[in-house]
Amino acid sequence: MRIRVRNLSHVVLASITALQGAVAADVPAPAIPRFVEETDSAGLQSRFEGEVEFMVGGGVATFDCDSDGLPEVYVTAGVNKAKFYRNGSTRGGPLKLKEERSGLELTNAIGAYPLDVDGDGQTDLVVLRVGEIEVFRGLGACKFERAGEKWGLSSSNAWHTAFSATWERGQNWPTLAVGTYVDRSKPDFPWGSCTPGSLMRPASSGKQFAPAVALTPGYCALSMLFTDWNHKGEPALRVSNDREFYKGGQEQLWKLSPGQAPALYTEAQGWKPLQIWGMGIASHDVDGDGLPEVFLTSMADNKLQKVEGDGGRPTFSDMAYKRGVTAHRPYVGGDIHPSTAWHAQFADVNHDGLADLFIVKGNVSTMPDFATLDPNNLLLQQTDGRFVEAGQQAGVASFRRGRGGMLADLNGDGLLDMLVVNRWDKAQVWRNVGTGTAEKPLPMGHWLQLRLKQPGGNRDAIGAWVEVNLGDRVIRQELTIGGGHASGHLGWMHFGLGQANTVKFRVQWPFEDWGPWQTVQADGFYLMDKEAGVSAWRAP
Amino acid sequence: MRILLPPVLGCSFRAICFAMAAVFLHPVNAVAQTQPVAASRTADTFSSGVANEWFSLAIQLVQQTPGFSPPVASRALGYLGLTLYESIVPGMPGYTSLAGQLNELSSLPWAQPDEPLHWPTVANASMATMTRMMFSNASAENKARIDLLERNLPLKYGQDFDPTSVTPDITNRSETFGKLMAMAIMTWARTDGGHEAWGPIRRSRENYVPPSGTGRWSATPPAFAPPLLPWWGENRPFVLKSGKECPAPPPPAYSEETNSAFYKDAQEVYRVSNQATQEQRQFALYWADDPGKTPTPAGHWAYIANDLLKMGKASLAVAAETQARLNMAMADAFVAGWATKYAVSLLRPVTYVQVVIDSNWVPTLMATPPFPEYPSGHSVQSSAAATVLGKVFGAETSFTDNTHNDRGWGPRTFKSFKAAADEAAISRMYAGIHFGFGIEGGKVQGQCVGAKILALKFKP
Repeated sequence: MRIRVRNLSHVVLASITALQGAVAADVPAPAIPRFVEETDSAGLQSRFEGEVEFMVGGGVATFDCDSDGLPEVYVTAGVNKAKFYRNGSTRGGPLKLKEERSGLELTNAIGAYPLDVDGDGQTDLVVLRVGEIEVFRGLGACKFERAGEKWGLSSSNAWHTAFSATWERGQNWPTLAVGTYVDRSKPDFPWGSCTPGSLMRPASSGKQFAPAVALTPGYCALSMLFTDWNHKGEPALRVSNDREFYKGGQEQLWKLSPGQAPALYTEAQGWKPLQIWGMGIASHDVDGDGLPEVFLTSMADNKLQKVEGDGGRPTFSDMAYKRGVTAHRPYVGGDIHPSTAWHAQFADVNHDGLADLFIVKGNVSTMPDFATLDPNNLLLQQTDGRFVEAGQQAGVASFRRGRGGMLADLNGDGLLDMLVVNRWDKAQVWRNVGTGTAEKPLPMGHWLQLRLKQPGGNRDAIGAWVEVNLGDRVIRQELTIGGGHASGHLGWMHFGLGQANTVKFRVQWPFEDWGPWQTVQADGFYLMDKEAGVSAWRAP
Repeated sequence: MRILLPPVLGCSFRAICFAMAAVFLHPVNAVAQTQPVAASRTADTFSSGVANEWFSLAIQLVQQTPGFSPPVASRALGYLGLTLYESIVPGMPGYTSLAGQLNELSSLPWAQPDEPLHWPTVANASMATMTRMMFSNASAENKARIDLLERNLPLKYGQDFDPTSVTPDITNRSETFGKLMAMAIMTWARTDGGHEAWGPIRRSRENYVPPSGTGRWSATPPAFAPPLLPWWGENRPFVLKSGKECPAPPPPAYSEETNSAFYKDAQEVYRVSNQATQEQRQFALYWADDPGKTPTPAGHWAYIANDLLKMGKASLAVAAETQARLNMAMADAFVAGWATKYAVSLLRPVTYVQVVIDSNWVPTLMATPPFPEYPSGHSVQSSAAATVLGKVFGAETSFTDNTHNDRGWGPRTFKSFKAAADEAAISRMYAGIHFGFGIEGGKVQGQCVGAKILALKFKP
């Protein structure tokens, strides 16, 4: 379908929301993928419950711990037990998730991020909790053991709400950042009582963490992300903070130079203060200039920030309106109140080579001045760079009280499926069936999935950049751990390729220059080993 | 930028026309680079009716709600003024948000450029929401008044709320934006130190122990009440960097020597208040503006401004800017005054006179307020208010004050705002509760506060 602003009567009949996405003439409408909810048939049975201390969080983690190429799912559930689900989906078929005991069973879990802390090739997991953080070491075969003490991680009894990880230059052991929310001992007057986050860098032994350094001031972080914001080789820590509770706070960007204490970028350096009800971070090079844009979720005040100029200074300007991603009120359902946005993620759900934006929405509790019927967004990017809403047509306009979420290929068919955790409600999962149906899925466009491997501690090459040349343009992704809302993924990097059957890709390994271009066929999984080169991956 | 509907489109439905106007008149890449302005009738084309009504109610609530001592009242009115302005500033072409200029407030939500808003509806919703939050302990009857006013304003001001031009869509969007703005400002307000300093949400904090020593403040007859809001001077002001930014000149050195300046000033209070004429006693009562009985000093000046805006048929935009400037100035004046009061901790005339001059003397007109003398809070706040209003309406503007008509004390006409402020200041000496230097020092401090507020950039 092509939308042209030629026939005024046609425009008059359109809704204002639709108009927003139909400004530019001669822009082909993006293909809309169809998602089929398979929560019950897949076996996903989890409810995120809890009162005040569980109003934020509600994360989900996806990672492959049995080497079958399909990501397992770990769903936090607040006061309920967090559950681990082994992925038993048939490739290209319906989703099947089977709960198993894994050692990850916990209560008071509100978020989770997978990463390989000790570089042993087994995925480990950091679980954010109302209370002490738990860090689990992967033992293989989807079994885990607590490793906090062994790795020298000490954690307070705080309200842990945000996480990110990176490997600093020259280090074989990761640097972790953890954000916290308000002081749990001050429930009667929480305003102005945000507690500081902490930064855990490698100990000199390289096998443990040094004592944590406080990230002061802390402004009630609800999302953190190490990202190379100016693509100059030094990740900084982006922190999104909730204005609801801080005093004098703002969004933050911490400079992290090796061997030096973390330092906030200042206004003198170009940082422009911003105050929002910060809930989640998604980062992606949306405009193709080589620098990542940052989408920040909030309460009806979402931002899409772009680095000004060439990235010499940390000065960001908002382009949410220009790109059509304000997502500030429900687009369907009739609720006219402002939206509350939480998890956000850029990914190409329709394989047109353009990153789309997935936003999980939901009222904090029963706030009457914010939308109760607040559907999740699936904003598809058009060729002109603007995004248009397709949540309803795609079948993912859930009206539950959403929090965390994840787009990940759960059944190995190349298409990204969708998970959402809802407060006081069941978690949900949808299968992306492309242009087909549940019975007969059909692909849409081509795709590529890559997994990076390198020697040393940072085996998954966190911090690497990957460029894919589609012929007429180049798309790129930065491999990060963190962001979203309490939800993380480790595994395949996913690229939509549009109509390209064969593509070239190249990797910029952490702290190195770009590697050579590699040519691969579309619609496949590939391992990119820094030493051994690229190889096709086949499901066992 | 004012959006004019292109008549050639021949729209039947105003909302759709607005939407189309937004689409056609706001090229995406043009508006996105600048601060966007919602496409609708601008705020200066509406009457100040909504603003007038909400301030009238707020002034009434100040008087009738427990805990609204003068500093607390000034704070509430300050946030209401700011809320009114910030909620409609996207509809005031050429104006800018004050976020970035006010302490610890970097940014606020901004209206979506493609969604036309109806500014009286926005203002009605934002003021209703903020009034509810600021007067959360209002009586049930007054809470009902808030609800009633919110519902009735569109009926009362039909010209501003013309149903043929304001569709349900626009109304809904406008209401939600107004509420959102009020909530964003309230999240900021909660952290100023004043939110939890009084009334039903008072937080436990260490007891204030007044410093002791010669010349220091001590509780005063007849009630010997504990000091009022001793930490108020530590609150975050709106504009002043802190309560100390506009200091009052130091008072004369304390002395009980009969030839000292201090003694002479005390003698002056003793003499003037004892010999006050009937007119001077009326002035003292007129400006006392006691809590619980009147709208307090800040409410008095807000009343004057509201009246002038109403009588002058000001626009909604002018009313918003005026009330924001005036009420933030008065709120900051109280913070500055309170900071000085508790830093200096000077005794009241009644204490000095009883100790040094006349053991049996008490001011006969009114009880001494329960907080330190220097400087005179009335003088600080009135001078700040007069500085702002003099700039807005003209320094030599004559005006009639109707605040106390229903008490049988008005109307009264003043030749200028400064003349009124000076009378309010000196009235405290007639009442026997302030020294002359406290009054003069307060004026200096208040003028400084007013100048700081006037330096705010409402237009970039």
